Amino acid sequence: MHQSLTNVTRACGAAAIALSILVLPATSANADEGLWPILKEQAFGDRVIRENDGMVVLEAPQKIDDAALVPLTVRIPPHVKGQLKSLSLFIDNNPDPKVATLHYGPAAGQGGERNFSTRVRVDNFSKARAVLELEDGSLHMATKFLSAAGGCAAMQAKDPEADATGIGKTIVRTFSPALSTNPIWSGQVMIKHPNDNGMQLDINTAKFIPARYVKEMTVKRDGELVFKMDATFSISTNPNIRFTFANGEKNALDVSIVDTDGTKFEGPGEKNTKGFYSAASESSSAETSLLE
Amino acid sequence: MCSPTLISRKNFLRAGLVLAATPLLRYAPALAATADTSEVAPGVFVHQGRYEVQSPQNGGDIANASFVVGSEGVAVIDTSGSAKLGAELRDAIRAVTNKPIKYVINTHMHPDHVFGNAAFKQDDPTFVGHYKLASALGTRKDSYLAANEQMIGKDAFAGSEIILPNLGIKEPTKLDLGDRELLLEPQVTAHTNNDLIVTDSKTNTLFLGDLLFSVHVPTIDGSIKGWLAVLDQIGKRKTARVVPGHGPKTMELPEAIEPEQRYLATIADDVRRQIAEGKSLAEATKTAGFSEKDAWKLFDQYHVRNVTAAFAELEWE
Repeated sequence: MHQSLTNVTRACGAAAIALSILVLPATSANADEGLWPILKEQAFGDRVIRENDGMVVLEAPQKIDDAALVPLTVRIPPHVKGQLKSLSLFIDNNPDPKVATLHYGPAAGQGGERNFSTRVRVDNFSKARAVLELEDGSLHMATKFLSAAGGCAAMQAKDPEADATGIGKTIVRTFSPALSTNPIWSGQVMIKHPNDNGMQLDINTAKFIPARYVKEMTVKRDGELVFKMDATFSISTNPNIRFTFANGEKNALDVSIVDTDGTKFEGPGEKNTKGFYSAASESSSAETSLLE
Repeated sequence: MCSPTLISRKNFLRAGLVLAATPLLRYAPALAATADTSEVAPGVFVHQGRYEVQSPQNGGDIANASFVVGSEGVAVIDTSGSAKLGAELRDAIRAVTNKPIKYVINTHMHPDHVFGNAAFKQDDPTFVGHYKLASALGTRKDSYLAANEQMIGKDAFAGSEIILPNLGIKEPTKLDLGDRELLLEPQVTAHTNNDLIVTDSKTNTLFLGDLLFSVHVPTIDGSIKGWLAVLDQIGKRKTARVVPGHGPKTMELPEAIEPEQRYLATIADDVRRQIAEGKSLAEATKTAGFSEKDAWKLFDQYHVRNVTAAFAELEWE
């Protein structure tokens, strides 16, 4: 059995360094807000962010059981209309607090309930934030406190050898809604990738395992942009995302992924099958090869 | 375990006993600062941990720890969750034999099985583990130390350290204790990626480490598929008894592994079905395997984590 993850508050060395650098100038900031004023300044300058105004909802588990794999879901309620400009996720106290930013394109849809989910690593007790940017440039934020942490243990792979095999294997799925005329469809991209954070010591070489993670993912539907995502190693090993997109002619998804080594991975579009969620079968899973 | 304030007094009393009755020491009954162990087979001793999460109250005494006494020396199999508990286990060994402690074997990396290693440094034994144990412990060292000190408390955890194995087992290997041999068999990734099965040849006792949980809910920190496969193999073995990592001191095959097989298979079935239905990880953690809730202790502490691990593994099938 392993240690309980409910009481661990110690950040790892690298995180502590990152925090101290950022914390120093923040002494005058509201203590509850921690690093956020600086992060906000870096990402959005002096723009106004409206908090908890119902335009964006962030869901996270009440109790975090595996800090290396914490599901986060962002929902944009149906009353929010029009194009979305961007969505940014932050975890304030992670070594790199910026988790991901999605820059939306025309195929992201104009209405209905749009959503995005992924799985993240949580290094320490922290606030998670989702900041949604609408077409008019307005910013809207939802927050959730992530009330558990795994310290650096959260960053350790269960089976490093298994994680290192089959790197680049990509599965792309589309889920057709109950009514195929529904304006919003959902998709999923998963890629085998260790998403190494560069903070793990390899005791055989006494060196840190170099950081290597997915930094960019572009998803297109029938050739039109759904989103381009910039990501960090705060995304869990084997990055896995679910998202919505506008119902198109063929609803074929094309995925292009680049990691920090510059290696490119691609996933082809897939034809839909009928019925709610029935598309999540072998026939809708497309495995792609490493292009390198 | 007695409270820290009593230990010194009892140790003092015990020291008096040593002086007064040195020749009788090896037959002395267990004292308060000595681990409570039972001889489950000739020369095979097991201490049973509590069905709890590490706390200041239990001092980290939550896993089973064993030792085997041969004509030439002693092998320790898991050392419990702190240097203090390791020292109590060592006292229990010294209460029955003065033979050299030749081997300290860890069945896997988890803190509740390895932090007592420090108490045996004075014996200069060979520290033994799966060949992946060293790297697994090396990368987790800092977080294990910090987390366990926090959970157990500074005093109770004092002196605990990570001691890496100096003998890594990659192929089935025999260790000689004189009139008996221990067979060490490294496993594929199952409970963790560094599980080792130890068999005592003389009594046909199988030490399964955390490949076997009983009463305490199993925890997946490796591979659910690998674990089910390893359990299939274990179920075919003919042994006199098995010693679980968490559970009673001894059990018998095949009944011993059946609840755990059912638990893991239930999770695997539920999760596979939900993946096929297009359900998300967050959805699966709310329902998968909950039919097992009343069958285990510490279910609330570990079950959702197990489902999370299973989902992340099985979605790649």
